[in-house]
Amino acid sequence: MISTLFEIFKSNMVQIPLIQPIIDYLMQIPLINFIVALILWRPFFAVVIIPGLTVLLLYLLYIVWFERKLTARVQWRVGPLEVARPIRGAIQALADGLRYFFQEAIVHKEAHRPYFVQLPILAFIPILLPIAFIPAGNVVGIKSPYAVQLVVAFLALIPITIIAIGWASNNRFAFIGSVREALIYVSYEIPFIIAVSSMIYLYGSGDPYVAVEKQSIVPGAIMNPIAFLVFIIAMLMATSRLPFEIPEADQEIAFGPFVEYSGMLFGLVMVLAYEKLYVMALLFVILFLGGWSGFYCELLGDLNAPLWLFIKTIIVISILAIVRSMYARYRIDQAVRYSFSWLIALSIVALVIGIAVGWIV
Amino acid sequence: MEEFTKFVRGGILGPIKKWGTKWSLWPVHLVTACCGAELAHAFACGYDGERIGALNYGIARQTNLIIVEGAITRKMARVLRITWEQMPDPKFVIVMGACGLNGGIFWNGYNLVKPSEVVPVEFFIPGCPPTPEALLRGIRQLQIKLDKGVAENSVSFSEVKAEKGKKPRILPRGVKKVSLAPCIVIAREKEVEWELGKNLCEKLKVLGRAVITARNRIALKVDPDKLRSSAMKLRDLGFDHVKSVNVVDAPNEGKFIVEYWISSYSVKELMPVLINLHSEISRREPKISSLSDIFPSADYLEREMQDLFGVEFVGNPWKGRFLLAPDAPEAPLRKDFKLQEEVYVGD
Ligand code: SF4
Repeated sequence: MISTLFEIFKSNMVQIPLIQPIIDYLMQIPLINFIVALILWRPFFAVVIIPGLTVLLLYLLYIVWFERKLTARVQWRVGPLEVARPIRGAIQALADGLRYFFQEAIVHKEAHRPYFVQLPILAFIPILLPIAFIPAGNVVGIKSPYAVQLVVAFLALIPITIIAIGWASNNRFAFIGSVREALIYVSYEIPFIIAVSSMIYLYGSGDPYVAVEKQSIVPGAIMNPIAFLVFIIAMLMATSRLPFEIPEADQEIAFGPFVEYSGMLFGLVMVLAYEKLYVMALLFVILFLGGWSGFYCELLGDLNAPLWLFIKTIIVISILAIVRSMYARYRIDQAVRYSFSWLIALSIVALVIGIAVGWIV
Repeated sequence: MEEFTKFVRGGILGPIKKWGTKWSLWPVHLVTACCGAELAHAFACGYDGERIGALNYGIARQTNLIIVEGAITRKMARVLRITWEQMPDPKFVIVMGACGLNGGIFWNGYNLVKPSEVVPVEFFIPGCPPTPEALLRGIRQLQIKLDKGVAENSVSFSEVKAEKGKKPRILPRGVKKVSLAPCIVIAREKEVEWELGKNLCEKLKVLGRAVITARNRIALKVDPDKLRSSAMKLRDLGFDHVKSVNVVDAPNEGKFIVEYWISSYSVKELMPVLINLHSEISRREPKISSLSDIFPSADYLEREMQDLFGVEFVGNPWKGRFLLAPDAPEAPLRKDFKLQEEVYVGD
């Protein structure tokens, strides 16, 4: 049994010439070789190491710090610094996370206890599932020709957990926040899906491999710039970034659906939007920026593709972080009106362009 | 509180807990008084409290530090306590400002509460208001306390040798004379060129003593039982609202003077005119008929006076507390109201 598993793992391992001697050495030791084979097994590697969980955690540490630092810079401040002076306070998010971890997690009397505690954890499922389908070169969790459609479908599940969180909190601010989340959800989801389907028409398939291959000369952002724009705006709306930070709005409704969460549970729900942003940015890079294609380095072997994908994603997210410190917030009615008027119009234009370009290419 | 400090430092995971809490002291937004302006300064550019990991954030559930910004009134004391109880453990409180220490400029006021009687306080930051440096040093001090387990003085003062013996205490001398003569004058007549005013005065003479006190100002003194009929007469003349209701306490004359400041929004010539309709009532039995049905704008103002002076406005349906907190003392603005005195024990 174990030996068959071992054979399965061994037959499909990530090849990295740089650390090959170390792996060869470790593979000779019993038991350790099983663990090493498991870690380097391609599906496992994709989901747990890169572009999956491990780099997701690193990314969370980075993005929270980067956003605070950037906002501070825009406001002529320094931002987090003293916690680790030599690296400009880069581990501030770690300190905050630890503090949340050891703080009391209050479940108040009015809350629906089982759901209140479960939902922050359940909300991870629709976030982690897409990662299994997003390929990076030949490092891939589950290979599917419908990967893009699947990722979009899983992303659509996240707001439902957030609305359920608001319901389980049983608090008036949480209710308002959930209603706002639902409104924003219907207003970004339609342009978002139309923009993605315009790209699917353009490439003629929902398979990321086909998409990346077709972008080998011209990236998708140039082939269909309107869809590019619509996707960015929908991404901002979907992840409650600032011009559309309507469901959370800490000045008016004190973090909306998350108002009653404390301690570790709040730590979990606070990063939801960031994780959603990560998944959407992965999809964005695959559809518009040429996916994992990039300069090939012999030494890294199979690691090239995931690394390029990750680096591009981080760059996209860092650029998006700038809007947070520069824009004021839209009112809910403005946001809904804009998205139902010109955002949908733009996405339909994008669809037409997508079909036309897809027909020519 | 000591037990929270102990919790943060204790256990096998102590060092990690200590490190995380130390660099992540997030104060909750709870601005109670003017010291809040200084807190804003401490977290804006220039001083930037975020440098040391403190970030002003959302609500009590997600934070672990309360900075009490100055004066806490009786009503805010309740809010402070609720905020503190909503906050997950371990939590800390820093009080800034002289008001929070011992009352400051509101020292011994009837409506002021000491924060240290409401919640356990970790550090006090004196000053009115404390500078941003002082506030940041307060947070820094809390970090050091979490780090080392004990609070340490961050400044040391040079010692001054005390002289032998005691200096005699010189008390301020008391008031020499207390005048028993009526000293509160509401209406002092003044000669002004004002045709409309003179006409109005002629019309009001029948109600009571009407005098012009300045340009556009008329004082009309009436008997308490004639108050309502005078108000109705004024309403017929075109005056339509009460701007302010006022009670003057004259304890050595044994009376309250109740004033209504009446003016008009609807008649153009009367707009700048203010009529002071006043009447004197006995201090023993402070009752006067309400004008709230004639001028609805008098309603809330009368309730407030009822709260602060204990004057009963007969006809105003509101009974009980309006502005004051439920546990505030009765009629605190009467001149004979005795403030709670602090007692210092020692030599
Ligand atoms: S200490 Fe001074 S600045 Fe602070 S609340 Fe009191 S009066 Fe205002």
